[in-house]
Amino acid sequence: MIKNFKWLLFASVAFVACTNEDEIAVDANSSDGQPLTAGSAVVTKYVALGDSYAAGFSDNALFIEGQKGSYANVIAQQFALTGGGEFKTPLMADNVGGLLLGGNVILGSRLYFNGSAPTPVSGSPSTEVATKLTGPFGNLGVPGAKSYHLVAPGYGNVAGVATGQANPYFVRFASSATTTVVADAVAQDPTFFSLWIGGNDVLGYATSGGSGRNQTGNFNPATYASNDITDPTVFANVYSSIVNTMTAKGAKGVVANLPYVTSLPYFTTVPFNPLSVSVLGGGNVAVGQGTVAALNTQLYGPLKQALTAFNAGDRINLLSATVSNPLLIVDESLPNLSAQLTAAFTPTLGVQTATFYGQVFGQARQATKDDLVVLVARSVIGAAPVGIPAPLNKFGITYPMQDKDVLTKAEIAEVKVATDAYNVTIKSIADAKGLAFVELKSVTDQLANGGIVYNNYNTTSAFVTGGMFSLDGVHPSPRGYAIIANLFTTAINAKFGANFKNKDVSLYRILYPASL
Amino acid sequence: MRGTEWHAVNYDDKTVAGRDRSHYGYDGINVYGDEAATVIPAPTLPSDKVSRTGYNETDLTDNKVANTKIDLSLHIRPFGDEKLEVIVQSKFGYGNTVYQGANRYYLNNFFMQQHKIEFKGKNFFIRGYTTTEDGGNSYDMLFTGININRLAKSDTNWFTDYGNAYARSTLILGLQPSVAHAAARNFADFNISPAGLPTALVPNTDLNNPNAPRGTRFLPGTPEFKNAFAQVTNEASVLSGSKLVDNSRIYHSDANYNFKDVIKFAEIQVGGSYREYKLNSFGRIYTDANDPITYNEYGAYTQVMKKLMDDRLKLTGSLRYDKAQNFDGNYSPRLSVVYSGGQNKNHNFRGSFQTGFRNPSTQDQYIGFNVGSAILLGSAPDNLTRFVETRTINGAAVPTEGNSATISGLNAYNNSYTAASVARFSATGNAALLTKTTAGLVKPEEVKAIELGYRSFINKTSIDINGYYNIYNNFIGNLNVIAPLYGTAQDSPTPTNADLLLFPTDPGSKSVHALRTSNTRVFQLYTNTPLEIKSFGFGLGLSRKVYKDFEIGANYNYAEFAFDQSKDPSFEAGFNTPKHRVKASIGNEKLFPNFGFNVSGRWNSEYLWQSSFADGTIASATVIDAQLNYNLPSLKSTLKVGASNIGGKEYGQVLGAGLIGQQYFASWTINP
Repeated sequence: MIKNFKWLLFASVAFVACTNEDEIAVDANSSDGQPLTAGSAVVTKYVALGDSYAAGFSDNALFIEGQKGSYANVIAQQFALTGGGEFKTPLMADNVGGLLLGGNVILGSRLYFNGSAPTPVSGSPSTEVATKLTGPFGNLGVPGAKSYHLVAPGYGNVAGVATGQANPYFVRFASSATTTVVADAVAQDPTFFSLWIGGNDVLGYATSGGSGRNQTGNFNPATYASNDITDPTVFANVYSSIVNTMTAKGAKGVVANLPYVTSLPYFTTVPFNPLSVSVLGGGNVAVGQGTVAALNTQLYGPLKQALTAFNAGDRINLLSATVSNPLLIVDESLPNLSAQLTAAFTPTLGVQTATFYGQVFGQARQATKDDLVVLVARSVIGAAPVGIPAPLNKFGITYPMQDKDVLTKAEIAEVKVATDAYNVTIKSIADAKGLAFVELKSVTDQLANGGIVYNNYNTTSAFVTGGMFSLDGVHPSPRGYAIIANLFTTAINAKFGANFKNKDVSLYRILYPASL
Repeated sequence: MRGTEWHAVNYDDKTVAGRDRSHYGYDGINVYGDEAATVIPAPTLPSDKVSRTGYNETDLTDNKVANTKIDLSLHIRPFGDEKLEVIVQSKFGYGNTVYQGANRYYLNNFFMQQHKIEFKGKNFFIRGYTTTEDGGNSYDMLFTGININRLAKSDTNWFTDYGNAYARSTLILGLQPSVAHAAARNFADFNISPAGLPTALVPNTDLNNPNAPRGTRFLPGTPEFKNAFAQVTNEASVLSGSKLVDNSRIYHSDANYNFKDVIKFAEIQVGGSYREYKLNSFGRIYTDANDPITYNEYGAYTQVMKKLMDDRLKLTGSLRYDKAQNFDGNYSPRLSVVYSGGQNKNHNFRGSFQTGFRNPSTQDQYIGFNVGSAILLGSAPDNLTRFVETRTINGAAVPTEGNSATISGLNAYNNSYTAASVARFSATGNAALLTKTTAGLVKPEEVKAIELGYRSFINKTSIDINGYYNIYNNFIGNLNVIAPLYGTAQDSPTPTNADLLLFPTDPGSKSVHALRTSNTRVFQLYTNTPLEIKSFGFGLGLSRKVYKDFEIGANYNYAEFAFDQSKDPSFEAGFNTPKHRVKASIGNEKLFPNFGFNVSGRWNSEYLWQSSFADGTIASATVIDAQLNYNLPSLKSTLKVGASNIGGKEYGQVLGAGLIGQQYFASWTINP
């Protein structure tokens, strides 16, 4: 009997022991708690090919902290947790940004937000283009690079910087004056690469308000200017050759498609119709109402009357005193009615003035919601055009905003058509070559259309406050880069059976401070 | 009696493990005031709630416990015999204690009294009594924390300041989010502008309410804090105070007659009872702001008992009928058998089957209590319209809905989504996961219970074995629901993207819009689960004298309950009982002359705690108690010294209450 009691006491001790929950080993760095693995991807030697995004460009400049936070560097941090080797970045000399060539400033310093507007930080650029860095470099992102630049010999030749034949950022770390970006990548025998290129093949055209040329049909990129749209066939050939070169020795990789650059805050921040009576009156509504009445009598009324006579009355509507009015812009796609307007105005204005009006308004119209006013044009609205006398001395109000200030509906369509064509190429090559694929276009669409919640922060493409983009309206914020890196590692997980854990983007700031 | 209650210092977050005050949305269990939380609708800020800085429970109560009891009674036998006795009795209680219900309360100088009159004879009794309580200076700690904060700075000003400071810190100063949150909290709490801004921030002035407080947080211990504490705990309205006011009364009477002198075949009794509730909390707890709520319950019963087989077999049967004002009448039969076997009747077998019910409590029916994050809403039919509230519609609401919405308890039952489905919707953004609440009004809980037992004392060994199996239907539990302030709740509404970006027009999409913009009211309902819940358990107890006067004992209890949570994901059973409990003891009353001792150890497994205050896991605990007695016959006294939880770490039994540490005591009892 006593034995049984002993057994009971012993049993109770055993119960106590059972309550120490078995500690299950959990890998805090992996997405699923299992041991972290890169799956079938080998990440021992990673190189990043791309443009300013790969380089970590932010706030209109390249600088050390931005480079460390680029999506490529964040991916490299993830790789380093499971066998990734050294990932060297051609760091700038400072956190001011900007470049010197032979001691002369050729690119200015980064921006910070002073509470009312993006403003250059104090301090001078100290990064000299001609000072060669010693590689090889894992991060081969070159700000400004278009697809065909990655395979262009001499793109890193300092002699070509002044003429635009070379890129000052690549000059700093190119292994020779004649090498190409891809050649410097392949020389490292990478086991894994990321390639996100093509944004600049339309971006220059778009940011310049479509003042470049759409080179579709022209298969010779050597003849392209910086603000031109790259021919999709050229893009496809270049893209295919880059991927073939990179995968020739069996390297695996990840590629990303291209967002419509028109969804960047650079294009979505300035409204097409900012001209309320309050704005027109300089804050005084009564003054603004007087201005509207005067403009309608003296300019908009006669202009609409004349245009109506030539079946173009829809170009101009009278200004409203109740709703906000659209900007006056130039649209080169319109039939030029200069001669007709000159003829119409000559009886009242005299031939000299009438000729001037005809030239100014021959291709003018009011902007619509289908046009995009570029970010830098914000300071142009209401400013005086050089050498233009009153009353036509107000851009957007009495003088049309010029081609470079506005991406018109037709120009937007050109950008989208080219981007769609590039994206078809990217997807088909990714599928054919077994590369991980990042769907960045739809993400960017969503950011511009309500936003996406990441780690409890709703992230949008709103300028300054949205959390995704930096103060230049084109390049990501620190948090934006972390989000992009997460999209890349998620795609790598899906394709190669890896289990990289997303970075907690709520730990990343959304803008850099004035001093770093 | 005087003492200090165990301090409640559980600072875990109520919902997210591992979160502390460094997280902007922290809501600590024993921290009050941080329940005031909102999504600040401004760019750069998180899309989930930011909470105000709360006060620890230890700052809001000294945990002093005291009580004094006085009982007076007068017994009169007018005829000088057992035929009739008249008893008049009054009991008074007075004291302080910490009490945990939906929130944590400090009952400060509460006063309760009970008065009874009884007529008792040999075969009957009839009695009536009334109890009433006065909360004295009792207060709710949650609202004490919330409203001390509001005295320093109104919620609107605080959250506006937080949002302004956060946005500037993150945009102009380029701070990391965690640093920006700290700077924002520092400004909202102490009006210290984040360092380095080109223009220093000044505290917000609410244009709609320019006199609203905009000062700095009161620090515990300062005269400002003490003043605020006194003001808040002296004010009953939950909008600005925390005083508990409850002058509710219960009148109860019952009567019984035993026919044993009339009928000899079996013992037959009949009886009845009547009870009237008068709820009078001035709207503080119940929906009785305008007038007290009165309702009644009555019942009648008869019981027949027959002894057979030389009194070895005892059969008892009874039947009750009960009717409560708000519920249908209910019959509950009971049947029990006791058999005493063995030569000395020392093998006792017992078994019973009964059906029973439990009426929803006063709270289940008539509560209308604002706990800050939710309204606890009782569900007597007339209670739904007794609760009416006007809520501000904030931010980018649907323009056609105006600036405010008036909702009643009817919204909670007829136009709301289950909280569980809203959580799934929030996590995924998929409105198809939303489920409209279909809970019914609360009705009595029913139980069918079977109990079997055996007990013996043979050969210095006593054995007790018992088991039970209960089947509960219509188990009363809580259900959290979220009522949109506009729109109509429906299963799987299908708003289009355009609906969510613009202002939706169809009622279902409007309700989703309300959820997305936090234009909602959370209710905790009292309802019955459609699930059948089974609880079963058994106990084993052994004790034996083993050597001289040493007695050792051990017992084990198992308790388990089962239901299919997936059929009712929002249902909280509140079983709150560990599955395994083991106790073992050894003692000797006469180890030496006049000297005895007892040592016992007990252990329970970890268990889930569910209540309207907080949910969580209570850890397993091992507790060892010991006691020594010494008799002093010359002084007719017993001296005792003892300790509980010797060498053990602090353990909990109730989530949110203080952990229980070690206790040591000594006593001297005269004429034990």
